[in-house]
Amino acid sequence: MSYAVETRDLTRVFSGKKKRWWRRKPTPDEEESLGPVTALDGVSLQIREGELFGLLGPNGAGKTTLIKILATLLLPTSGQALVAGHDVTKDPFPIRQRINMVSGGETSGYGLLTARENIWMFSQFYGVPSKVSKARIDELMHIFGLWDKRDAKVRMLSTGQRQKMNMIRGFVTGPDILFLDEPTLGLDVNAARVIREYVMNWVRGQAGKTVLLTSHYMAEADQMCDRIAIIDKGRILACDTPANLKRMIRTETTFQLEVDTIRDTTSFMGLQGVKNFSHKDDISKNRSHLTFILEDEGPVAEILSSITSQGAKVHSLQKSEPTLEDVFISMVGRGLD
Amino acid sequence: MSVATDRRTDLKYRVGLNLRAVVGRSYPRIVGANREPSWIFFEAFLPLLGIAAYVFIYQFFGLQATAAILGNPPMCGDHVCASVAEQNQYLAAVNANTNALIASVVLGGTMVAFWLNVLWSMASQLYWEKEIGNLQLYMMAPMNRMALLGGMAVGGMVMTSMRAVSTLVAGIFVFGVIFQVANPLLLLAVFFATLIALYGLGMMFASLYLLWGREAWNLSALMEEPIFFSSGFYFPLGGLFRIPGWGPAVAIAGSFIPASIGLDALRQLTLGSTAFGGSLWIFNVTTELEILVGMAVLFLILARYCLAYLETLAKREGKLTSRHQ
Amino acid sequence: MSTYWRTFKTAAWLGWEMDSNWTEPWLFVLYSVIKPVAGAFILVLMYIVFVAIGRPQGDPDAFSYMYVGNSFFIFVASVLFGTFQVIQSDREWYQTIRYVYISPISYYVYILGRAASKIAVSVFAVAITLVFGVMFLGVRLHLALTDVPLFLVSTALGLSVLLAIGICLGGISFLTAKHTHGLAEGIPGLFYVFCGVLFPLSVLPNWGQAVGRAIPLTYWFDITRRLLTEGSTVNTTLGGYDAPTILLFLVVSSVGFFGLSVLIYKIGEYFARKAGKIDMTTSY
Repeated sequence: MSYAVETRDLTRVFSGKKKRWWRRKPTPDEEESLGPVTALDGVSLQIREGELFGLLGPNGAGKTTLIKILATLLLPTSGQALVAGHDVTKDPFPIRQRINMVSGGETSGYGLLTARENIWMFSQFYGVPSKVSKARIDELMHIFGLWDKRDAKVRMLSTGQRQKMNMIRGFVTGPDILFLDEPTLGLDVNAARVIREYVMNWVRGQAGKTVLLTSHYMAEADQMCDRIAIIDKGRILACDTPANLKRMIRTETTFQLEVDTIRDTTSFMGLQGVKNFSHKDDISKNRSHLTFILEDEGPVAEILSSITSQGAKVHSLQKSEPTLEDVFISMVGRGLD
Repeated sequence: MSVATDRRTDLKYRVGLNLRAVVGRSYPRIVGANREPSWIFFEAFLPLLGIAAYVFIYQFFGLQATAAILGNPPMCGDHVCASVAEQNQYLAAVNANTNALIASVVLGGTMVAFWLNVLWSMASQLYWEKEIGNLQLYMMAPMNRMALLGGMAVGGMVMTSMRAVSTLVAGIFVFGVIFQVANPLLLLAVFFATLIALYGLGMMFASLYLLWGREAWNLSALMEEPIFFSSGFYFPLGGLFRIPGWGPAVAIAGSFIPASIGLDALRQLTLGSTAFGGSLWIFNVTTELEILVGMAVLFLILARYCLAYLETLAKREGKLTSRHQ
Repeated sequence: MSTYWRTFKTAAWLGWEMDSNWTEPWLFVLYSVIKPVAGAFILVLMYIVFVAIGRPQGDPDAFSYMYVGNSFFIFVASVLFGTFQVIQSDREWYQTIRYVYISPISYYVYILGRAASKIAVSVFAVAITLVFGVMFLGVRLHLALTDVPLFLVSTALGLSVLLAIGICLGGISFLTAKHTHGLAEGIPGLFYVFCGVLFPLSVLPNWGQAVGRAIPLTYWFDITRRLLTEGSTVNTTLGGYDAPTILLFLVVSSVGFFGLSVLIYKIGEYFARKAGKIDMTTSY
């Protein structure tokens, strides 16, 4: 089996900030935040060639660190990472020929150049002949709906247009492996859909193309990815197809409740049979949305009583099929938001 | 990889890749900068004023010296002029020296344009690229990092040439400087050797600065004035050798910047080696050209190795992509 | 009032951190000293070379004239840069301008606060440069006790004018691409040439002298030099006026310049908002 990406016990530790004698003495809490941070802690992963692989995790879970290591921008502290069969530490050149990366909210490029010129410039760093590059740019601009803005200076592009430009920059060099770090972050529904569809067609429509995608949007990951790894605090908690991940918690029961905004949620975890739960407040409606992962239906009565004892009213109660978000909550202990 | 195409790694491919990268990175500088009309005013016209100030200083000194020679009593050096002939001789010498110094300022101003470009658009550029998010995209690309720096250098040279040419034109038409070029080929050789050595130094700084954040910016700022005076941008560097004690030490330290030796050679080639009584030159032009070529090769090699080493270090410390340091 | 003071304090703190926290304190002090002293040295060496080849007996009055002018010019370079670069660095570098601009504070006060640390450092640099000149280069300085109030008033006026010009440049740079260095080098260059900083106005052609007389900094430099280097033989072309008259010229031209600067800033800001350029980035 050939892997597009393979990591073995990959660890990355960022050293802490230096203490300066002229600064006041840090408090114990600050002292902790100054210390070394383990961004990746023994990550072992195999991403098969031709796979659209998702990486799900909360902020600070280590997703971007992993992508930076794979994109040859950061060295691991220990362990090994292979991309296209080459070691990222020892042999970056053949990796760089085959990869590209697009991050959400990226502001790269030169403001005085047009969108087309910026993409062309980056393609030159990959040795793409100008004629080929310009033809690909034009084609991709049509696909991504950026054709009208081809000659607009980058500084005049909207966030969505800029992100589309970044996507084209990623595809124009003809990579085999593409790292997409939150590629639809902040995009409107249509723009995000165009990008998702293109990425899926790109991977599935031709042999040998691989995508590693990180996303905050569970539905996006569920819809797009062949397999998903859930990462938290630098560790991989699970890695499987979305269907299998959901099957993992099928023995469990998921309940969703909409209630008046409640203050105290600490008591829920103490209830017997509650495996995990998450809550989101909808301030505009003064409501809280609670999701419970339960071992069985036993604790429901106790949960309802705990809510009503706080003076909150229950507006809806629904038993649901597990979603990827439920899997995430079950494993990480909290939602992504 | 089994299905994905094997990528080329042969020499022809690598040369093509890196040439394209040079063209790609020089493009924003050449096209982008000139696309902004205000650039001509800010980057080409305004700096001329600084040069003009230095020209006027020499005119001021010249007028003060002339006033002393024509004063009562007329002073020729440290004694009263013995005759009208001696007085005229001193007047002619003051005029000739003042004009040669003004010409030196104009040439220095031309080189200052390149030096500032090296400091601000080469040395500290990678820091800037990091801030705007381009550096990680560059460092992920397969091109040689020297091609990236080479593109910045070529673009910088072309962009700066406009300021340099406007300084020269102003020198000739506004300040009436007369250049006598006896050997244009040698002049061109010295000029380009100086530029290559200078930008080679810039590439080396760029790699050294890779690890730094605002330190890089401030170090560039710190290198402006001391190098202006130790490299003789506004006076012939040989003048420092007339100062006993620290003068020669400063001149020797300043000579490590290729612009100082380059300027000395350019001044000899455009003012004539007999200007300033022929006593203010450091070496003859041929020797200076050899030194410049040596510096160019040395700095380019050092830049290559520094960059490779510091890129690895930056990747290890995670500083290649961390912004706003 | 408390909002203004809080804005000023916060901006001054931010400016100080940006200026100084990139390195160790001792290195920052060294940096703050080396830069201006080295700047003065360019002129010292130009003088030495001229003397070496043309006038062996030297010209101490011309040297003192130039040295004092150049020392005080440190204020011009750093205050102007400290002011207009706030807009360019917040916009292009830190990309925070949109958040500061929309906050309910006086943007003028914010700019002045950000420039405060540069003014503080430049006071230190000017003092060091002058002391260095007196101790090692034979510069003759003298400030009579009775002249101190006049000196303080003129310095305060000079700095106010510089801040106003800086704000005006900020207004212009709202509309232009990233030209930090062109502005940093060029605009002070304008004053370097036309304000009698290094050489008397008489060296300039007539039109140049007229330009110089319209700029308040010319009077500031003249009055400062009168107070610090009394008895110089250099013909300043403003010699016909006494110190209070020069101060009056300084006050009148400062008021005019202040009004003009604020107007230009407002126009720049208006057109930048109209063209959507307040928070553009133009890197190349």
